[in-house]
Formats: sequence, structure tokens, C-alpha cells
Amino acid sequence: MINLSQLKEGMDLPEIKKVVRQENINRYAEVSRDFNPIHIDADYARQTPLGGTVAHGMLILAYISQMMTAAFEESWVSDGKLIVRFKAPARPGDTITASGKVRRVEKSEDRNLVNCEVLCKNQNDEAVITGEAVVRVKG
Amino acid sequence: MAEQRKVEYRQLDAGYQFPPSGCQVDAATASAYLGVVEETSHLYWGTGLVPPMAVAALVMALLSEHISFPAGAIHVSQELEFNNTVSTSDILTSHAGVVRKQDRGKLCLLTIDLNVFNQAEKEVLTGKTSFVLPKVE
Repeated sequence: MINLSQLKEGMDLPEIKKVVRQENINRYAEVSRDFNPIHIDADYARQTPLGGTVAHGMLILAYISQMMTAAFEESWVSDGKLIVRFKAPARPGDTITASGKVRRVEKSEDRNLVNCEVLCKNQNDEAVITGEAVVRVKG
Repeated sequence: MAEQRKVEYRQLDAGYQFPPSGCQVDAATASAYLGVVEETSHLYWGTGLVPPMAVAALVMALLSEHISFPAGAIHVSQELEFNNTVSTSDILTSHAGVVRKQDRGKLCLLTIDLNVFNQAEKEVLTGKTSFVLPKVE
């Protein structure tokens, strides 16, 4: 967890790296009940413009939330906000890096409003998700 | 929910409200979710605290049970605000409504508002989700 005294504009949040696996996509489909064939049916997906299966956007977005949880713990879970765009698909075999940078820290009497730029990119440095995360931290 | 009760996206317009859905992220589901996303935080394992993204995933699943999307639909953006923690014993109610439906040539942009409350009627999650859909004539 990031110590409040360490919080500075421009600082990087600790990154998270994940390898996208078809097995995880299949299991995510079960958990989220999203069985869209573009995620789980290789034969179907091959015939679409995407040319193969892709991960659920919400699965990849979970990695950003995971990074924010690691950095801000309870504050993120009870008072966090995400605004993102899905820019490109994540495919089985891709290595996704979730990263973030603190853009602004607005201090008030008992809270700090921390605004971060967040990003998921693949192994080719292509943006998969871009956006911002905001968290209200006590202290 | 049966497939025939889904609403075709063509029938949706701004202001349309989906029926509220009751749901719960029970301990087994939360644990399965944590395993799938490879979440290791001590906040969640064995504590009964539900990752907010698990709630969001469930709400999206409930939404997909109400709408029939054409092949080629793309989830383009997502806003989520976590307002209160959720535990595995909480009974949640999800509300969703269409806030925008906009034609863009051969495509259609559909934006849906999401609001989730717990059994004490406290708001736990709000959000907006947007899809680009190919128009089906």
C-alpha cells in the first residue's frame, strides 16, 4: 500500500503484469455469465473481423482495479472511481501490463482526492484500456 | 432469464428502464472470481469482502440477460464508482436504464446507467456502460 506521505503528483503506481490465457477467459465467462462466442468459441471468433477469441473487457479492467487495490486498499474498494475506454482487444497469449500515474492530489481537511491516469497495454506497447481512476483517501 | 424475454436493442430508447434484478456475490462466486483474475490481496481472501469489479461483472451479466445484442457489438467504455463496500452476505438490487441511443451511420451507440443498492438501500456501485452496435435492418 502506498503511504500517504509518499503520494506525489507524477509518481508511478506499482505495475501489475498478467498473461491472458484462454482458460482464464473461459473461467471468467463462467463467473460473469458472459458467454459471448467471441470470447470462448475459437471457430466462431476466427470468422469474425477480430480473427480469434478476445478477452472480456471487464476481465482486463479488473487488472487496473487490482493495481488500485494494491495501492490504496480499503479506500479504493469503498470510494473509488474508474472512467475508461476499451481501445483494443486483449488476446490469449498477450501479456498485459496495468500501470498508473498520479496526476493530481487535492488535499482537504480529512481526505485526499487522488486522480490517476491508468493504462493497460499489451506486449507490443499497444493501449488496450486507457482512462482515469479517482480515489478518496482518508488522512 | 429466458432468451425470449430479452429486449432487442432496436426496441430500446433513452429513458427505457430495465426491470430491477436481485443478486448476490456469495462466497463461492467471490472466490471463483478472485481465482480467475488472479487477485491475491489480503483484503478479499477469507474476509467476506467482495471485489468491486466482481459486483460490476455481475451487474453486467444481469444486464446482458435483458438485452439481445447483435453479433459484432463492442463494449467501448465503462464508468464505475464504488460507493460502499459489498460483503458476500449482502443482497443487492441492480437498476439499469438507457440514457443514450445515438445513430452513427451504420452503427449505434448505446449508453446504459447502472445503480446497485444493498439490502439497507445504500448505493454501493454506480456506473455507465457504452456499446457500439452494428445496425441490423
